[in-house]
Amino acid sequence: MFNVLWGTIKIQMKNSWARPMFRFTLIASPMLNTVLIYEMFRHSGQSDAASYIILGSGLMGLWSSICFSSIGDIARDRYMGVLPFLFTSPSNYNVLIVAKTIGNTLLASLTLVVSWLTAGLLFRLTLVVPHPIVFLGALVVTIIGFVAISIPISYLMLLSRKTGLYMNVLDIPVTLLCGFVFPLNVLPQWTQPISQALVPTWSTRLLHLALQPTIDWVALRTTMTWNAGLILLYGGLTVVFWHAIQLRVRRNATLEVSE
Amino acid sequence: MAMISVNHLQRDFVQRHSRTWHRHPTVVHAVRDLSFQVQAGEIFGLLGQNGAGKTTTIKTLTTLLLPTGGQATVAGLDVARDYKAIRQQINFIFGGELGLYRRLSARDNLIYFGSLYKLPPTTLVQRADTLLAQVGLSAEADHLVETFSKGMTQKLQIARGLINIPKVLFMDEPTIGLDAISVQNLHQIILQAKKSGTTIVLTTHYLPEAELLCDHLIVIDHGQEVASGTVADVIAQGQKIAPKAQIASLEEAYITLIERSAAHV
Repeated sequence: MFNVLWGTIKIQMKNSWARPMFRFTLIASPMLNTVLIYEMFRHSGQSDAASYIILGSGLMGLWSSICFSSIGDIARDRYMGVLPFLFTSPSNYNVLIVAKTIGNTLLASLTLVVSWLTAGLLFRLTLVVPHPIVFLGALVVTIIGFVAISIPISYLMLLSRKTGLYMNVLDIPVTLLCGFVFPLNVLPQWTQPISQALVPTWSTRLLHLALQPTIDWVALRTTMTWNAGLILLYGGLTVVFWHAIQLRVRRNATLEVSE
Repeated sequence: MAMISVNHLQRDFVQRHSRTWHRHPTVVHAVRDLSFQVQAGEIFGLLGQNGAGKTTTIKTLTTLLLPTGGQATVAGLDVARDYKAIRQQINFIFGGELGLYRRLSARDNLIYFGSLYKLPPTTLVQRADTLLAQVGLSAEADHLVETFSKGMTQKLQIARGLINIPKVLFMDEPTIGLDAISVQNLHQIILQAKKSGTTIVLTTHYLPEAELLCDHLIVIDHGQEVASGTVADVIAQGQKIAPKAQIASLEEAYITLIERSAAHV
């Protein structure tokens, strides 16, 4: 299984890097986002603006890369005609999806570096990390959280040929609802339950808490519990979806492009 | 025991036609009642018009689709129930240029698809290089697939189909759109695979190809059998239903059989 996992991660990274759109999302998009978010916060007087500018644009890029890659890969594999071969290979398709998502997420994590560099070079902004180990831990949890949310969404894409449409619908709302670029309290109250059901909301909160000069351990523990709970929930959903979906895919023939 | 056994196979599709908010489902019977057997080590042809049910039959046998009715086994395993075990023993290729990662090299494609069959990495690299040599793509092994011609892509597809040394290889129109020399090359590769013991199920619209390659074949129309047997058997069945005609080739027999079948639908 390790060979399949590692082989798929490598192939996924090669495949994604070969796409101009992915390179744009990975490099140009976080640069532009950093500039735009900097302008948004410039006169706001917000004390933690730097973390919203750097982390916000990085997380936006990370989510976009996942949206357009991990989820979009189902569409691409379908249009390239490789989806039937992957689906019916003796390797577990779950392992392939997990490996593809890991490959994309690792590569897409570069958006955080690009945002960091852009903010530093253009605006002399820097992200002060008072507790590097806590921040690194939060970053790992964030990446796991992003992988966890994109897998069940990817599975749902196996059921339909309109993957591209859903992918576009998911991109911006998640960015807004998860508070990547502004504090969530500026959103209306009715959006709060939706935000709280999305693990990137809690990952973002975890990253911001890890950047505080004095760590609020109670808040950190609560946020960590939410992250872990939602990751487990998404993992459970993945298992449930898979059992239902692999049967429906063979019944409804949705693996190929409709003629 | 037969390598493949198909008994009264049925496969329906529900098509939904959208008209404003209302969706009208229509049931299409792609395969109505199909039975045949394929012996180990032979090349078996599935012939029929577009929409006759050939590809649906192949997709059912390769575990991509569930049968709606009837039963089918591959290597003694049930396609509906034992799909995981079947997948280890088969491979398949579809004609055309789909089915490969176009932004990866030929070698990367073979190694990746081979890794899905859990072959050890060293064996896999050797196997990929052997197959690339066999299909005449050694010099292009590190070229991106997107730079390949149709013929080269098709050769690579066959190499991909053979990477796991399958017991059964399903080929859906493998020579579609290829020039005469590429077709001849592919025939050699297919015959070589047969020689090494692979059972091959082939669909094709090119009747001389079926005549040349197939040990046994079945002609289907509207998801049902019209004729079956060896090439000589099918020619005899065509002659039987048109006694006044001079039927000397599979092509003539096929046209006679399909026209007669269409007249009955």
